[in-house]
Amino acid sequence: MGGIEWAMWANEQALASGLILVTGGIVAVAGQFKNWQFAAYSIAAGVFICLLEYPRGKRKKGSTMERCGQKCFTTVVKAFGPLTRNYYVRAFLHICLAVPAAFLLATILGTVCLAIASGIYLLVSRVLLR
Amino acid sequence: KYMWLHKEHLYVAFLDIKVAWLGVNISLFVVYFLTFDRGEKYFYTRQILGSALPWARASAKCLNFNSMLILLPVCRNLLSFLRGSCWCCRRTMRKQLDHNLTFHKLVAYMIALHSAVHIIAHLLNFEWYNRAKQATDGDLASTLSHLHEDDGLWLNPIHSNTTTPLYVAFTTIPGITGVIITLCFILMVTSSMEFIRRNYFEVFWYTHHLFVIYFLGLVIHGIAGLVRGQTDKSLEESNPKLCAGQYTEWAQGNSTHCKVPEFQGLPAESWKWVLAPIILYAFERALRIWRSCQKVVVVKAIMHPSNVLELQLYKKGFNMEVGQYVFLNCPSIYYLEWHPFTLTSAPEEKLFSVHIRAAGDWTEALIDNFKQPNPVMPRIEVDGPFGTASEDVFQYEVAMLVGAGIGVTPFASVLKSIWYKFQHGDQGLQTKTIYFYWICRETGAFAWFRDLLASLEQEMDESGRAGMLSYHLYLTGWNSSMVGHAAVNFDRSTDMVTGLRQKTFFGRPMWSNEFSAVAAAHPRALAKTLQKYCHQHSSLDPRNVQFYFNKENF
Repeated sequence: MGGIEWAMWANEQALASGLILVTGGIVAVAGQFKNWQFAAYSIAAGVFICLLEYPRGKRKKGSTMERCGQKCFTTVVKAFGPLTRNYYVRAFLHICLAVPAAFLLATILGTVCLAIASGIYLLVSRVLLR
Repeated sequence: KYMWLHKEHLYVAFLDIKVAWLGVNISLFVVYFLTFDRGEKYFYTRQILGSALPWARASAKCLNFNSMLILLPVCRNLLSFLRGSCWCCRRTMRKQLDHNLTFHKLVAYMIALHSAVHIIAHLLNFEWYNRAKQATDGDLASTLSHLHEDDGLWLNPIHSNTTTPLYVAFTTIPGITGVIITLCFILMVTSSMEFIRRNYFEVFWYTHHLFVIYFLGLVIHGIAGLVRGQTDKSLEESNPKLCAGQYTEWAQGNSTHCKVPEFQGLPAESWKWVLAPIILYAFERALRIWRSCQKVVVVKAIMHPSNVLELQLYKKGFNMEVGQYVFLNCPSIYYLEWHPFTLTSAPEEKLFSVHIRAAGDWTEALIDNFKQPNPVMPRIEVDGPFGTASEDVFQYEVAMLVGAGIGVTPFASVLKSIWYKFQHGDQGLQTKTIYFYWICRETGAFAWFRDLLASLEQEMDESGRAGMLSYHLYLTGWNSSMVGHAAVNFDRSTDMVTGLRQKTFFGRPMWSNEFSAVAAAHPRALAKTLQKYCHQHSSLDPRNVQFYFNKENF
């Protein structure tokens, strides 16, 4: 189990969370639900997370299958250097992004999924720090 | 008759199941959509919820249907039994059973789709119910929401007018179970992505066991009966078509021919759909455990070049056919994991063998164990054998076998079996000619197979059947020094790479001579190209040459 790169799964989970946040947000905004402003935020946060998590990181061992067309995303993400490279920062970023979406039923699924992704990133960064 | 690459039958066979399944999905969706969209029983419910109600119910029905189906393709022992006993529609039926995992994934995608529809519809439902409860304009929706607040005949499940949909969701059974099972499903899906599955199998395998919580939650999901329709008795006393317009009267009890409508919840029905598959799957797992308890002896372990481990095993009562595969479990590595390996031994041998290449945590751990100076023979558990497409090979006069890299393993079994059938003069052997293509990146991987081919070459010469097996070896990871070497040694009677009589080709096969050029490294691309050229080269006239395509991909 020591050889598993959990960050790869965290990446898939975070990408899925981004999509769920966007979907939930659209439903609440389109339906003009009460407190739909949280949903509007959720759409923006979801899009940002998708852009951040779309480029798949390079595996430590073996070949990495890149996601279709990820090169342009990679250039942008890499430009932020340690802010995007460090998993501890990612974990913290994701949990902060997740919180405001927790106030609406439509987006809470996204919150929980993102929190799980954040948790996995945190686990990975802990391992690295050790 | 030619074997192995078929244009129509395979597609039509698999298409049958897919088309039937899609048809049922669509029918269920349409029928239940219309039931809830037009049904009188739900007239008043629709006054509050609009069309979000039928969308939620139709997708719920499809979710039940697909949740019922999803466990069935992974009952491999049951499928193996069906494969063996389905004599009437043998070939087409068996090929459908080969695609069990593809079907499992299809059904999973459908569950994902219907879950999305179902959740979105219910998000709307919660919001509309809440709005109706909090509205003070006295319209029909608002009136209906305040009926029967003290007895169990209410329509609007939200009983407070100072609450939020979020709070309601987490304080009702369907709300909580819905969130939990959706979460489990999402985790299962993200960990099942091919990238994760192929490189970090344990993440996939252990997370996938969340299906237990999924089914548990699904069964409980509907027991609260929050989806309400008018009772039959109430429909007689207060027909919505006649009475809806006069709601202000009957709401205050002033109407003579329209009573206050009464409502009841739909009973939970998911358990009716999923109970049988759950029992079947439980039986499947029990069978795997029972099989795994049976003693398996590791008679011999041989390390071949290129990190390939051969295990020769013995299990009492083990019977196999050519090209089948088994699942192996090594409790000392990972207790719950089972991994598939094609059998490389012939059915005629007393022992059965597998060749294992290092391709992940489990295989590497197993191989590392045997690389130790004094290796400990670990306990191995075996489930199977399970059938694959190679079983039919001896019924065809001409066989064309293509293997890429380690994908050649079923053919090791085929070729060994030929050797034994020759030795014993087996009359059941119809095969007269075999064309064998092996495409590989590096020479080292040839070693164990080379010995097999060398002994076959010798055997065929001695039996006077030298033309029966025609094999073509393609080395795709070649460099210029190899080519130089080959050019210098061109005149030698045996190949300088393998020592065999038939020469190694450098580069990829010229499929234009056999079929067409193909990318050998990627198994999926290889299969697609082969399939394409099988269509091209199969005659439209069924009496002429037909190529039957059979593929296995682990």
